Amino acid sequence: MRVHYYPGCTLKQKTTALDISTREAMKRLDIELVEPEGWSCCGAEYPLTEEKIVGLAAPIRVLRQVREEGGDVLVTTCSFCFAVLKRADKAVKDDPLKRKRVNAYLRDDIQIDPLTKERTTGFEDYNGEVKVLHLLEYLRDRVGYPKIRERLKRNLKGLAIAPYYGCRVLRPQKEMAVDEPDSPRLFEEFLEAVGCAAVDYPFKQECCGSYISVSLPAAATEASYRILRSARMNGAKAVAVTCPLCFYNMDHRQEAIKETFLDFPGLPVVFFTQLLAWALGVDKSVLGLGEHRVPADDLFSETPATEVRT
Amino acid sequence: MRVKLKSGRDQRKFIARIEELSGENVFACYQCGRCSAGCPMASEMDLLPNQIIRLVQMGLDEDVLRSKTLFLCASCFTCESRCPKGIDMARVMEAVRHILDPKGKDAFGPGEISPELAQELPQQVLVSIFRKFSK
Repeated sequence: MRVHYYPGCTLKQKTTALDISTREAMKRLDIELVEPEGWSCCGAEYPLTEEKIVGLAAPIRVLRQVREEGGDVLVTTCSFCFAVLKRADKAVKDDPLKRKRVNAYLRDDIQIDPLTKERTTGFEDYNGEVKVLHLLEYLRDRVGYPKIRERLKRNLKGLAIAPYYGCRVLRPQKEMAVDEPDSPRLFEEFLEAVGCAAVDYPFKQECCGSYISVSLPAAATEASYRILRSARMNGAKAVAVTCPLCFYNMDHRQEAIKETFLDFPGLPVVFFTQLLAWALGVDKSVLGLGEHRVPADDLFSETPATEVRT
Repeated sequence: MRVKLKSGRDQRKFIARIEELSGENVFACYQCGRCSAGCPMASEMDLLPNQIIRLVQMGLDEDVLRSKTLFLCASCFTCESRCPKGIDMARVMEAVRHILDPKGKDAFGPGEISPELAQELPQQVLVSIFRKFSK
């Protein structure tokens, strides 16, 4: 299988663990990931006012490039990219005025031919031809859990993992339409498919503080603490995330959380793709574990994989 | 909380502009308070989300525009998912930020981030905070 993959800005620089573990895992599932030629930043924030049409130009440019290359699905792992691309696509599909205006911005854009690298301009409007999927959705709907189970090389023996959805994957439900916003199953089913046990806890879709961690770190420290504490109290050995910013707030800033909240002893934070790659037999050295501030090595310890699930 | 009511063209214009920008019907709100109850940033706010929308309904632009709350909203859409009237409060917040004085100071600008912190932060957080809180 071949599918277009949008890593986004952060995965290429600061949070390569998410990118490399995704690539390694997809190799094991015989899925070829193709990056759209000349992709740019998605803008990170979907413009929430009716007048900020220009904020749609960047994500639509990426989606149009996917269509130009013959793709009809774009997979992404970062929750921010996913939300912006999916909502921009829906806006263009549903609102003829937005479609007209954003395409007017992009008409004189430069197009790079994927094969000849020839630069041309002037091309057809984007009308919502590409379906944006989160990797979790792609694994559920297009790959299928039975195929993942077949390929498992390591038995994770019901490792207790708390799935953390965060803000952008589920909400607003009428636009994201991924799962129920208050009782989702998507992440839980994925964890069970790779051999983990999904820990149920009440903070799985609460906000980690998002970008407030830059402007008011104390507020994000508290928000992240509430999530980590709840996960730990419910028996989780780690929290699994999909978003580099959730990872930053809960892993990189965990030292600050421990200094502020003395009752919290710490909890590793991992990417869902690291668990997937590990279960599929990928070597520990290519999971990007060096990027973690809270050591997560113990979760990926090479105890003899006795039984292989089929 | 005590406010001084006003009624005039400016008030009506303010309400109409917020509704136009946000695409939300602010008068649908009947003050149940679920948005504020679930808000992860509520403890830091001077006005709670339901109070912001009440002040918008009354057209009290000055009270709304000087609130710290506008720059505490993380756009996590928890309020949106729980509103029984289907109002997307994050859009109302963004609409209010949109009509702040364009010549005014940034609520949060690049100068407030040290070079060391900038090295450490994921790119997405820099893009998103400047998109939200600077002009």
